[in-house]
Amino acid sequence: MSRFWIQAWTIARRDLLVEGRSRETVAVVVPFATAAVFVVPFATDALDVRLATIAFPVYWLVGLLFGMQVALRQTAVESLAQRRQLALLGTDPVARFTGRVASAAVLILVVLVVTAPLIFLFYDPDPIARPWPMTGVLVLFAAGMAMLSTLAGDITTGLATRTSLAPLLVVPVSVPLLLGAAQSLESLVRGRTTLPWVLTLVVTDLALALTGVMTARSLEESNT
Amino acid sequence: MNRPLGRAVLGSLALVGVAAGLWLAFTSSPDAFQQDYVRIMYVHVPGSWLAFLAFGVTALGSLGWLVSKRMFFDRVAEASAEVGVLFTAVSLFTGMLWGYPVWGTFWDWGDPRMASTALMFFVYLGYLALRRAVSDPVARARRSAILGIVAVVQVPLVYFSVTLWRSLHQGMTVRPDGIAMDGSMVAALLVNISAFTVLYAYLMVERVRLAGLESETAVIETELAGRSVSKPNLEGLS
Repeated sequence: MSRFWIQAWTIARRDLLVEGRSRETVAVVVPFATAAVFVVPFATDALDVRLATIAFPVYWLVGLLFGMQVALRQTAVESLAQRRQLALLGTDPVARFTGRVASAAVLILVVLVVTAPLIFLFYDPDPIARPWPMTGVLVLFAAGMAMLSTLAGDITTGLATRTSLAPLLVVPVSVPLLLGAAQSLESLVRGRTTLPWVLTLVVTDLALALTGVMTARSLEESNT
Repeated sequence: MNRPLGRAVLGSLALVGVAAGLWLAFTSSPDAFQQDYVRIMYVHVPGSWLAFLAFGVTALGSLGWLVSKRMFFDRVAEASAEVGVLFTAVSLFTGMLWGYPVWGTFWDWGDPRMASTALMFFVYLGYLALRRAVSDPVARARRSAILGIVAVVQVPLVYFSVTLWRSLHQGMTVRPDGIAMDGSMVAALLVNISAFTVLYAYLMVERVRLAGLESETAVIETELAGRSVSKPNLEGLS
């Protein structure tokens, strides 16, 4: 394994170990997301509104908002000393970005996987004709959200308004991801081809990856 | 363009140009189908064009700063983003005003041009919010330069959205095979586009100058290290 991948793996492993100790995602964000899935029907007239029609939009909205919360979680914030130490150790900024994105993507997937059965339980949507391609859509969505949120987190590192500013930067740019994922799922339910929407997700992910690679060094300079 | 006379000339040109453009907008022939509502287009189209231009200049200013580290480029990027947000708001507002009588609705989610323009507006609001959140000028310039370059990707997406996706919005009026408009309407539109572009240039010059003055004030207001050290009180010690 090359030095780059060893560094990326080490960073990802560190983030997941920190998560394992703090359990911020599993013990705080996931229960919060579960509560959100459960609470939404109270905002509608459940006797008149067919909840199945809002099931998937609620799912993706929860995925977007709580996925962002996972990537920007407090325990994943590196202190100035940590960032400087990584830079002085010669850690490749792109490897650092890759590692952080990988760990965030895994945790976002956890949120998506846990909330999916709840959506089927509480909202009773139409069944998905071919469930397996959905796995790929979830991975692409989680990877995109992780890259976007990590970039926004790095741009707002150390700012007093980080918790409100980073979501403001993420939400408008996340639209291609949301569109690609939601339309892929709709296509799977209706038995139509998902190709154009999966391609939308792939292209968006590639564009975000390219942006992350190109800006990693500048952001490292800015944050150290 | 730092001399007061130059700025005054540019400002006067913008004022006269916009006045002439609006006069032409109100006196040109009405559209066969849209009637007088077409006059909104004479402000809407320049607003959209200047939004694209302004965000393009923001990206160029951002790139300029990253390459040269000269604060002038950062000021240009900031000024252009602010003016661009203003013109995007003008474009969105006039588009909605026109949409209600012509389409029967202020907002249509099926129109990709409207939705993508609104998203572009929010992204640049985020850009301005980021600038206000960072106090150190160099850190502010670097972070916003990265966002300024990334965000410009939306400009071609918004522009080509009417051809990429099915849209209620009309397609391109000015095409390589000709212009699908009456001559008097084209003249009014071109005068308005030119006049609003001069207005953009004037606003840019003033905003860049103001940003320079702001940074000078920030330096003056920065407390010098020596000011916090007071003379020791040695009274009664000798």
